[in-house]
Amino acid sequence: MTNDKAAPASGSMMVVGGGIAGLTTALEAAEVGYEVLLVEKNPYLGGRVAQLNQYFPKLCPPTCGLEINFRRIKDNPRIKVLTLAEVEAVSGGPGNYTATVKILPRYVNENCTCCGDCAKVCETEVSDTYNLGMCRTKGAYLPFDMAFPARYVISPQIIGTDDAEKVKTACKYDAVDVDMQPKTVDFSVGAIVWATGWEPYDAHRIDNLGFGQYDNIITNMMLERQAAKNGPTQGQIVRPSDKKAPESVAFVQCAGSRDENHLPYCSYICCMASLKHATYIRAQYPDTKVYIFYIDIRSPGDRYEKFYNTIKQDPGVILIKGKVAEVSEDPATRNITVVAENAVTGEKIHQTVDMVVLATGMQPTAAGAKPPADLAMNDDGFFINDYAKGGMFAAGCANKPADVISSNQNATGIALKAIQTLVKR
Amino acid sequence: MADSYLVEPDVSFIKEVVRLGGADVKKCFQCATCAVACPISPDTKPFPRKEMIATSWGLKDRLIGNGDVWLCHNCGDCSTLCPRGAKPADVLGAVRAATVIEYAKPKSIAKMVSDPKKLPILLTIPAVIILVLGLLFKIVGINWLNFAPVGEHLWQSDYINNYLVDIIMIPTFLSAIAIFALGLKRFVADMHANALKEGKTNKEKIDPIEFAKTFVKVLPTIMKHERFNECSENKERSTAHMMVLFSFIGLFIVTACFFIGEWVFHIEGPYQQINPIKWLANISGICLVIGGILLLKNRLDKKDQISSYWDWYLIGLVLTLGITGMLTEMLRLNGSYGLSAIIYFLHLISVWVLFAYTPFSKLAHIVYRTVAMTYQEYSGRK
Repeated sequence: MTNDKAAPASGSMMVVGGGIAGLTTALEAAEVGYEVLLVEKNPYLGGRVAQLNQYFPKLCPPTCGLEINFRRIKDNPRIKVLTLAEVEAVSGGPGNYTATVKILPRYVNENCTCCGDCAKVCETEVSDTYNLGMCRTKGAYLPFDMAFPARYVISPQIIGTDDAEKVKTACKYDAVDVDMQPKTVDFSVGAIVWATGWEPYDAHRIDNLGFGQYDNIITNMMLERQAAKNGPTQGQIVRPSDKKAPESVAFVQCAGSRDENHLPYCSYICCMASLKHATYIRAQYPDTKVYIFYIDIRSPGDRYEKFYNTIKQDPGVILIKGKVAEVSEDPATRNITVVAENAVTGEKIHQTVDMVVLATGMQPTAAGAKPPADLAMNDDGFFINDYAKGGMFAAGCANKPADVISSNQNATGIALKAIQTLVKR
Repeated sequence: MADSYLVEPDVSFIKEVVRLGGADVKKCFQCATCAVACPISPDTKPFPRKEMIATSWGLKDRLIGNGDVWLCHNCGDCSTLCPRGAKPADVLGAVRAATVIEYAKPKSIAKMVSDPKKLPILLTIPAVIILVLGLLFKIVGINWLNFAPVGEHLWQSDYINNYLVDIIMIPTFLSAIAIFALGLKRFVADMHANALKEGKTNKEKIDPIEFAKTFVKVLPTIMKHERFNECSENKERSTAHMMVLFSFIGLFIVTACFFIGEWVFHIEGPYQQINPIKWLANISGICLVIGGILLLKNRLDKKDQISSYWDWYLIGLVLTLGITGMLTEMLRLNGSYGLSAIIYFLHLISVWVLFAYTPFSKLAHIVYRTVAMTYQEYSGRK
């Protein structure tokens, strides 16, 4: 028996990305005694999960779990959170890295009480990236109701304008600091976990599915924002052209996934997401018909299979085996007609619906912006973990497309891998 | 649909399709994008998704004698959108090749035509026929083959007499028609049976007179390449194909006129350059060469499309016919009679190859596709 119970806190690690995988890795490592630097490029934590309305298959709100995680971070002095921060360079090796992090100014300090007075006086509106650009937000804004850190952000777009002065004057707590400058800081860490997550695949690139061409074709993440109470439509699912409640909705599965011309792999979550979306629509509009066009419904595991079977029982949800390969719009009604071959009956279907949802997949963030570090990646931009080498690992959807539960399990395991690097030294 | 279906895969058929250019068929995961991408696929029982699964399962009976395979014009729209690179267009092309081989009798010749190693044998046959028959006639005193004729203005008939050519070519041509007729008889019966089985027609029996009338109706569609022009991916092929088809028709007319002139009116060639038949001959010959080059260029440019020997054979034949034909004439006009005669000999070999092997080669599509398109119209398939 050893009596050396003190954790080897000489080592500290950096976690890049504050989405669900990054949060989990950071918390698991910190709660066993390691110092963690959590670097997030957005002004808030929670990543893609923070944009979801409900989890499948339980249909409960992700805010609940996020809130618990935020509480754990607040209570844990070992976690240092940097928002609006991106890693610019990494040097050194396992056990001894130097990470250069660039931190952009938030223009709001810790005095902020989220009173909202700054937003009231700000006249400039900027694109609301949290809502995928579906609406606009004030130049001084809280990204969303329960954003963490709970602190307003001032868009760099209004810095130097009259609005900046107005916002500064409106703040009763002296929280606005328009003179904040970007800074670049070096951190010494023993291990780095890349939890850089994913981006929704750009649906504009799927020429034959009409996104960007016809207003009433949206993506699954856009529907997720519509369905959310804190979204651009306050939870009302409406079609974009006339804000009408859709009487029929078609889901196009594998929009850009399992496709050599786009993402060659299965994005894992889109089938379950569309089944979940069917419940959103059916709950909101009991008479609306939902058509789901698929290649195969992938609902792996007992719980997902049960969820799928439940949805199948709903006579308002029609599942058709056959991928949509053609869309067209009726210019008068703005309705969309999707064309697919029902591979079971061998008949072509021309289904006209009020709105189409493209079930677009996950593209690893690193596919667009390769991290500035010596990392192995496959052709699609997913990391290949080198456990023998150690030091740097990827967690969550940076590894492979995954649902939240798998990301968390993976993140927990990766936290241990990172700790092993620290302990070995 | 039947509750259960016992699949009896014909593995040798799968291998045959793979050999003929359908090597990617097994990549298909039945998403059915192809059937929607295809601009000419009908709404009921569309192709080529069902042909893809039938091929990968080796269900030969659902493919040979399936008229849909011939409705495809190989434009490649399906292959472009295919998420798996399974190349449905090439698979259907390979199935068509397998169909030609299946219906052509004797089958051994069909196997040889599709095998590049057998090409020398296939080319030797006409060479031997012309030389041996010419020499045999020489023995009995008919001088139709001269290796060194003398005279001021010589032409190819002074070396290889037109009568010798005709008595070889005419029976060859007729036997090709007979082989086609035998194949078609089975093909049409199979196609109808397949359509009845898959619910693609409501006609019980085929009425030959009505069928012939439908053919007349369909002919303009074929001539104008209307189906071809619905393609978006591979449109330029339509022009090249049209040039080659019309050149063949033009040259067929020229040959027929010349034949009648010789046998009926005993008018000997060569025709003057101002003769309208000569104009048609020259224009057609030039178009054939240009069309052939365009076909070749399109194939070479389209790297994502599989081109098998089956395809190269036909392009090679088109170019050889055109080039040897035009060279024969040009060398003669230049006064290089000996060289002209050698090229003419090669030209005759390629003409014989054209006639004799058409029912066994890709060119057989001229018959099978025409009949299948007529049947589609006749059967009321939508």
